[in-house]
Amino acid sequence: MRGSRLALIAAAAALAVLPQAAQAQRAAGLRPDSTSLEGGIWGSADKAEAAARTKADVNHDPALNAYVRGVTCKVAADHCPDLRVYVLDRPAFNALVAPNGYVEVWSGLMLRSTDEAEFAYVLGHEFSHFAQNHTLVAYNAAKSRANVALAAKVAIAVVGVAAASGATTASEAQSIMDATGNLIDVVYLAEIAAFFRFSREQEAEADLLGQKRAAIAGYDARSAAQSWRSVMAETQASDFKRVRESRSRTSVFESHPLEAERIAALDKQAPSLPASSDRGRERYRAAIRPHLSAWLRDDLRRRDFGQTLHLIDRLAAGGEDLGVLNYYRGEAYRLRRGDGDLGRARDAYLAAAAQPDTPLAAWRELGDIRKRDGDAAGARAAYETYLAKAPQAEDAWLVQDSLTSLDKGS
Amino acid sequence: MKRLIATLVACMLISACTTTHTQVMANPVKPAAGARILVVDPDIQLGLLTASGMTEPKADWTEQARANIAAQLESEMKARAHAYRLLDPDDAMGGRSGQLMRLHGAVSASIQGYGYALPTKKGAFDWTLGEGAQALGAAQSADYALFVRGVGSYASGGRVATAVGMAMLGVSVPLGSQQCFVTLVDLKTGRVVWANFTIAGPNADMRETAGASALVKALLKDAPL
Repeated sequence: MRGSRLALIAAAAALAVLPQAAQAQRAAGLRPDSTSLEGGIWGSADKAEAAARTKADVNHDPALNAYVRGVTCKVAADHCPDLRVYVLDRPAFNALVAPNGYVEVWSGLMLRSTDEAEFAYVLGHEFSHFAQNHTLVAYNAAKSRANVALAAKVAIAVVGVAAASGATTASEAQSIMDATGNLIDVVYLAEIAAFFRFSREQEAEADLLGQKRAAIAGYDARSAAQSWRSVMAETQASDFKRVRESRSRTSVFESHPLEAERIAALDKQAPSLPASSDRGRERYRAAIRPHLSAWLRDDLRRRDFGQTLHLIDRLAAGGEDLGVLNYYRGEAYRLRRGDGDLGRARDAYLAAAAQPDTPLAAWRELGDIRKRDGDAAGARAAYETYLAKAPQAEDAWLVQDSLTSLDKGS
Repeated sequence: MKRLIATLVACMLISACTTTHTQVMANPVKPAAGARILVVDPDIQLGLLTASGMTEPKADWTEQARANIAAQLESEMKARAHAYRLLDPDDAMGGRSGQLMRLHGAVSASIQGYGYALPTKKGAFDWTLGEGAQALGAAQSADYALFVRGVGSYASGGRVATAVGMAMLGVSVPLGSQQCFVTLVDLKTGRVVWANFTIAGPNADMRETAGASALVKALLKDAPL
């Protein structure tokens, strides 16, 4: 028996192979053999893609899809024909390029990118995970780690001590659920999260490669660090202590380290890249403008009003779209209901009402707040403006009823 | 020593034959002869169970098993007195039909998760997609729908070696197993008429034609078809 025990230990040690070295960039147009591990990973990604394609929150606006595909192709260059892009209306900062080349771009990312250069950088980062085969490398690394753990377990069993190891997947699934506020199919998320558990080294590599790709495509390299700075600032603006103290809770996948060192590495590489001052701010804003209102409404469903208000401040910095932005600023205050929030909401609706692009509901909300404040004349003026501008509104009868009750009260 | 290892390997590899666990709703309505059955293309995912317990997805096995199970389902349906047609689920994932396909996915996951009966149903097999399922029937011109889902893994050589070694030390290491779950849904009422859960035995390897045939026969055992 002694001999066989020694043989077992040797076998266990043999299982603990070293992790694979980082791979070179994959060639364009490559399809893996279906018998290979990569073929298996592609097969699973194909299923995730089939599920993603038929989700109800896929955004089908042809102009937006053409725009996002255009920017993706700029950073992906030769690989453009390998990629299939889906825009999803989901209020979290996220994009991913699956191992089979399907791309998800979430509206939360588009709402938070200041300009095309920042957006292109994030796409370049995600694309680099694809181009460097990071999923395959991560899988092999996990397998080696599991083999090391198994070797340890065999060794422990030999000396007669029971070993137990805890999986971390449950807590990861939980953090995803928290971050997205249960808006999204958790099973599906757990499946895609399994692909995207990248190591810190892989994230750092994707950061620098993404910045390089965006710069080669003609964008200002300095915007890469800017996009992470904005994410960090928004994290700090959260209503919740737990979020403020976390590293990167606006990102669904916690594997993205957002420490200062990551930003410093991007700042350091920027001067070595082709110089450009093109940030594409105007054309980016024009592309997302038709969706601002719907995406902000989605963002309010996260019920982190501190973050939504921070985001609105950032979007309003250039003085554009002030009707829509002030209306949603009012909505955030109205829903938050903190001390003095009703007054802030009224001021925001008022500011919105002075703009040409305001949603008509601003007058209805203004009427409600003034009515509550006892300002009957002001409330009547606001309700009447609403009815004059939106006579066909579904809730016109409700507003009419509020008007009637004002008359009775006075 | 050699004999001990051989015995252990035999103990682990020779498990019971393919087992089934069928459930039928109370007062089932057996599909009439000539009823139109929609056979949804089976959803299969197979993988390789590696030494340390991680499963590697295997695209070639998955595709081979899917084709085998689909062919066996078709030949079983041919032997019966019903009209049938095959449906690629990718062609039906849009609109109302797509919602019903997903609803079925959720319901069948619950049937498995709760062991066939919800705690509040006092052991009764009582599951339905609701009468809205008629929309799927109308869109696909069918009276019933048959869904098959299969998942499984096969142990690698390293995994078997590990299991043998660990068994000698008194520690049990699970080897791969494959399961199939089938449901028959009445598209008029939406009710799940019948369900069966099968664990494949050693002679029911769905990657091979003969194995898939044995598995599908076990799967459709007692089916009211």
